Amino acid sequence: MKTENTEQFLNFCCETGRQLIQNGAEIYRVEESIDRLMAAYGYTDTEVFAIPSSVILNILDGGHNYTKAIRIRSSFINLDKLERLNSLCRQVCRETPPPDQALAQLRAVAAVPGYPQWSSYLAHGFVAVFFTLFWGGVPLDAFFAFACGVAVKAASSSLSRMNTNIFFTYVCASMAMVLPPLVLVHLGVPVHMDKIVIGAIMLLVPGIAITNVIRDVLAGDFLTALTKFAEVLIISMALALGIAIPVGMARLFLGVI
Amino acid sequence: MRFLPCLYAFLGCISFCFIFQVRKPLFIFLCSAIGAVSWGVYLLAEPLGSDAVRCFVATIVVSALAELLARLLKAPATIFLVIGIIPLVPGGGLYYTMDYLLDKNFPMFSQVGLQTASTAAAIAVGASMVTSIVRMLTWRRHPQA
Repeated sequence: MKTENTEQFLNFCCETGRQLIQNGAEIYRVEESIDRLMAAYGYTDTEVFAIPSSVILNILDGGHNYTKAIRIRSSFINLDKLERLNSLCRQVCRETPPPDQALAQLRAVAAVPGYPQWSSYLAHGFVAVFFTLFWGGVPLDAFFAFACGVAVKAASSSLSRMNTNIFFTYVCASMAMVLPPLVLVHLGVPVHMDKIVIGAIMLLVPGIAITNVIRDVLAGDFLTALTKFAEVLIISMALALGIAIPVGMARLFLGVI
Repeated sequence: MRFLPCLYAFLGCISFCFIFQVRKPLFIFLCSAIGAVSWGVYLLAEPLGSDAVRCFVATIVVSALAELLARLLKAPATIFLVIGIIPLVPGGGLYYTMDYLLDKNFPMFSQVGLQTASTAAAIAVGASMVTSIVRMLTWRRHPQA
């Protein structure tokens, strides 16, 4: 293949990796997808290395090494884009279009709009409502849990806009989550604080990260597993701290549950 | 009445689909149905005893369903797994662990804390076992893939 084509193909592969990681793909899927892409375009002497914050690619073509490394900073789970990227990869592997065309298609997928912001607020509220009921709350608890869910979303999205680190974001989000039920209990409203908080905490617990850690270990990606495990520990500590601070202070000063 | 939480899990998972940006109606339904199934299996597995074992069994069923749907619909299994596993995540355990710590009730703190950790581990091991087996089988079919 021509030199400039290889360069462009390298860019395409790197962008694919970036998009996959940013939308929440597992690391083995990223490496496998890029491997398949490179094989489909007839490159035999290739290496790919991915971790949650970086992708490094090397293609040996006609005696030249084409290498690119990219740094990935933020990621947010977007299952719709993940599915589109996956089918784009299949399609590109099957049809092997010119790299610039493939790149244009990738850009189109990356630009697909998500749900509007307000629906995300509603969804956060309803997750809290239904999981409060799920964990045994009464309808009154569920009614107030909606506020907790919205508070979590408001806190986390306003903090992430300010580029705060993950620990502080989770501490603040869980503090915002605990405040509404604390106030209600203090005012004497007969709600079950524990049920409301457990319902809303489902929004914040790193359940996906926990499952991914062991998946990465079994896939042999120990480095990825370690970084993810650190994330799980930090988020769990932040959650515990964010709940403990308001509850502890309320017990100390106000004497409520 | 016993299976009412399954309905709540289903509705909760639908809400989660909006947070994690699942857009196809069919996928939203399937993801949430898997979530409801996961809790149904957990409830049915009651004779098996501990929380961790029940979560383990439920996770295996969920992962197998997710992998199956992934093959049928040609989509990543993660989509179904991420949503379907949510009802099993021990959010309550995390809260009560912390609650006992604040109460300085250390025996209960360690007991509930260990239970929570083992439930999380059970979910992770269950999910990865199924994935490993599926990958092992599909690897053989496409040796050079």
